[in-house]
Amino acid sequence: MRKTALFLSVTTILFLLYGCMLGVATDGESITVFSERHYDTDQTLFDQFEQETGITVNIIDGNADPLINRLENEGEDTMADVLLIADAGRLHRAKDKGLLQPIESDILFENIPSNYRDADNYWFGLTKRARVLVYHPDRVDESELSTYEALTEPKWEGRIVTRTSTNIYNQSLMASFIEIMGEDEARTFAEGLVANFARTPAGNDRDQSKYVVQGGADVAIMNTYYIGRMMNSSDPFEQEVAETVRVFFPNQETTGTHVNVSAAGVTRDSKNQEGAIRFIEFLSSEAAQSAFANANFEYPVNENVAVHELLESWGAFKPQDINLSKLGIHSYRASTLMDEVGWE
Amino acid sequence: MFKRLRRNTNLFSVTSILAGLLIIIPMLNILTEVMTPASDAWLHIRRVLLQRYIVNTLVLIGLVAVFSALVGLFAAYIVTRYEFKGRKLLSWFLILPLAVPSYIAAYVYADMLSYTGTFSRFLRAGNIGLTIDIMNMSGAVFIFVMTLFPYVYMLTRSALQKQNAAFLENARLLGASRAEAFYSVVLPLLRPALVAGTLLVVLETLNDYGVVAYFNVRVFSFAIFDAWFRLGDTVAAIRLSAILMIIVFAIIFIERLIRGKRRFSGNAKPKPVPRMPLSGPWRFILPGLLWVIMALGFFIPLAQLLYYASLTFTDVFNTGFVFLVINSLTLAITATLITVFVALMLANYNRGRKSSFKHALLKITNLGYAIPGAVIAVAVMLFFIDLDHMFYPLYRLINPESARLILTASLAMLTFAYVLRFMAIGYNSVEAAYDKVGEKFTEAAYSLKTSKLKTLLKVDLPLIKTGLISAAIIVFIDVIKELPLTLILRPTNYDTLASSVFRYAREEMLQESSVPALVMILISSLLIFFLTHQKKGVTANVR
Repeated sequence: MRKTALFLSVTTILFLLYGCMLGVATDGESITVFSERHYDTDQTLFDQFEQETGITVNIIDGNADPLINRLENEGEDTMADVLLIADAGRLHRAKDKGLLQPIESDILFENIPSNYRDADNYWFGLTKRARVLVYHPDRVDESELSTYEALTEPKWEGRIVTRTSTNIYNQSLMASFIEIMGEDEARTFAEGLVANFARTPAGNDRDQSKYVVQGGADVAIMNTYYIGRMMNSSDPFEQEVAETVRVFFPNQETTGTHVNVSAAGVTRDSKNQEGAIRFIEFLSSEAAQSAFANANFEYPVNENVAVHELLESWGAFKPQDINLSKLGIHSYRASTLMDEVGWE
Repeated sequence: MFKRLRRNTNLFSVTSILAGLLIIIPMLNILTEVMTPASDAWLHIRRVLLQRYIVNTLVLIGLVAVFSALVGLFAAYIVTRYEFKGRKLLSWFLILPLAVPSYIAAYVYADMLSYTGTFSRFLRAGNIGLTIDIMNMSGAVFIFVMTLFPYVYMLTRSALQKQNAAFLENARLLGASRAEAFYSVVLPLLRPALVAGTLLVVLETLNDYGVVAYFNVRVFSFAIFDAWFRLGDTVAAIRLSAILMIIVFAIIFIERLIRGKRRFSGNAKPKPVPRMPLSGPWRFILPGLLWVIMALGFFIPLAQLLYYASLTFTDVFNTGFVFLVINSLTLAITATLITVFVALMLANYNRGRKSSFKHALLKITNLGYAIPGAVIAVAVMLFFIDLDHMFYPLYRLINPESARLILTASLAMLTFAYVLRFMAIGYNSVEAAYDKVGEKFTEAAYSLKTSKLKTLLKVDLPLIKTGLISAAIIVFIDVIKELPLTLILRPTNYDTLASSVFRYAREEMLQESSVPALVMILISSLLIFFLTHQKKGVTANVR
């Protein structure tokens, strides 16, 4: 009996020590970033920030929703200072849940055009990506392509491919349509698009372009940077696919191509607001933007920074003229609407 | 009263009850949420999606169950009943597919069959215009069967090895053909093992998220994450998990029914069934089929990963990578040791006099395996935040400027979740080891007034050592492969092999993910080798 008690208390203490030992914060100033983005190139940039400011950057990376959920559960005790996510809609959700705080920063206001940051300054876009049409030049002539909406015409039956409706980028695309053309027309668009799908959606963005090259479909709706990433893939055959397909920016004569951002906000209960703001300012600066955006073949939000030459070769384009907060406002409706029309 | 309490208080009972409490509290926490009124998202799910989820789930587990049972039984039967070249090698090789996590197999196969993939290019080179689309329901069935059938194989193989030749001989003497003897003697005797193995496969399938998400096969585990993340509704997600749990309990109940109350125990020393040499074309066909299974479940994915690793090794392999390996190993070892220790306590507690309280406690501690990983993650996180709030004064005592979330920010949370999740596996393996030795030695020791702890150390442990090692290896392999809990609960700056595979895969960098994936498979394979080659130890002499 006494031995049992002794044994149990010793194990309990050991367990607690083990827990505490691995959870101790490092000395010196630091910030913790809950990040959906964690490319190896981003890490280099974080290291650079560390060197310049002496502020250590701790990262927890994961998918957007679990991170937001974790932030919510941890409440005022959270260790997160910055939330960095690759979709404006999800940042809006975090703002909606009261997890972020507004920031006043002239540097950010100057570096980032107002379209690409929250109207109340809760989050700030850092890199832009366009959701474009990628087609096979042998089977589709550029002159046949015009708008997203035109893809619902009967001539495209069985020729369109894109990701699932669970994919954040497709939800934000639909949300932008709800904002621009209203719910009814957005539904008609989604119905028409689903009717023209070449297959039940599956796989990631790269898989969509491969399916086009394979001949399973003729046009894929996907993000620009995947083409850049495939061109620089370690797999030579992926490079071949990326060089075969062509990129088309739809809706140039009308409402503009859908654009989304990677964006960051300071958490409501950040223990180091100042460091967090400096971190976001750093990422929006001219010095960091080119590395931050180019490494992933995205468009920098800072207009003083040159775009990557590959993106330049595709030419300038007209983006949708909406504040990206709208992507978050309509995101739930966009999701249920896609379910209703049978977009899997 | 007090005396009785005191008599019943020992290491085993205290640890068991503590474990039961620690497991039930987080779950209760979450169940209370089901009682809240239906949200919009839930109504939407029920109206538009639910039917599809149920149908898909039943189709998926139905097909996976049937095919993995067939493959596993086939492999086990050939290996135990026939003699052929390479039999010994195959008999442990066939467990190796367990080392390949289903999600990795899914990524690799989808890649190989995609336009740029090895297989498609091979076909194009031969001018064959065939394309195989694996990203659908049948593809998912294929992946699950090929990576999970070893559960069926292991259990049926050991049951076949223990079958008594006398039964079969009697059947043949009574004029049954080989086929008749198989259906009326071998198969009924195998039923418990076959059903138990298939149940494990089904539970693993229900818990998978990686494969179904990538292939967009809309089953319950997919639905739970979808409701939680896309629709942003935790309560709807929990309701869906409640439905999934009902399905799981129904399946377990059906398993009990199928297995029946019949116990087929033969003599203490069964006469082993002699292996027959294969003749004619069968000499090549049957072993050939087994090698095909091995290739599909292990060698093909392995070869593809090796090729990719050769492309990306220099980019991925650095000092950080060494830490990944160390992290994975220490984490898995800690979780395994705790799991096996608690399982051992539970198994000891459950020996001797049975009571309905003990029975209920065991059911509770084994619950983790039937609950989707995502739900465990939420439950454990809420529980640890509560714990931290409770312990906060204590932290302040040690360090006045202490943060409030100490345990939540530490590895303790993730380790706890692993233990909760894999307790059932650990417990069942330990119990199986105890079943083999019976209780007579322990009772003898008790009757000689040896203390419980001393009996455990001096009598029981040496007897079940091999069983314990097996239990530890199985739990270890499961922990190191685990994905959803790891992703959601790990501390800052903390990556494991599994989370790094997932990170690369999410960024659509399959080639880069090959190095951590390979190391993970290598570690698990080595352990499987050890598991199948360890000496039988003392147990072999005890019957």
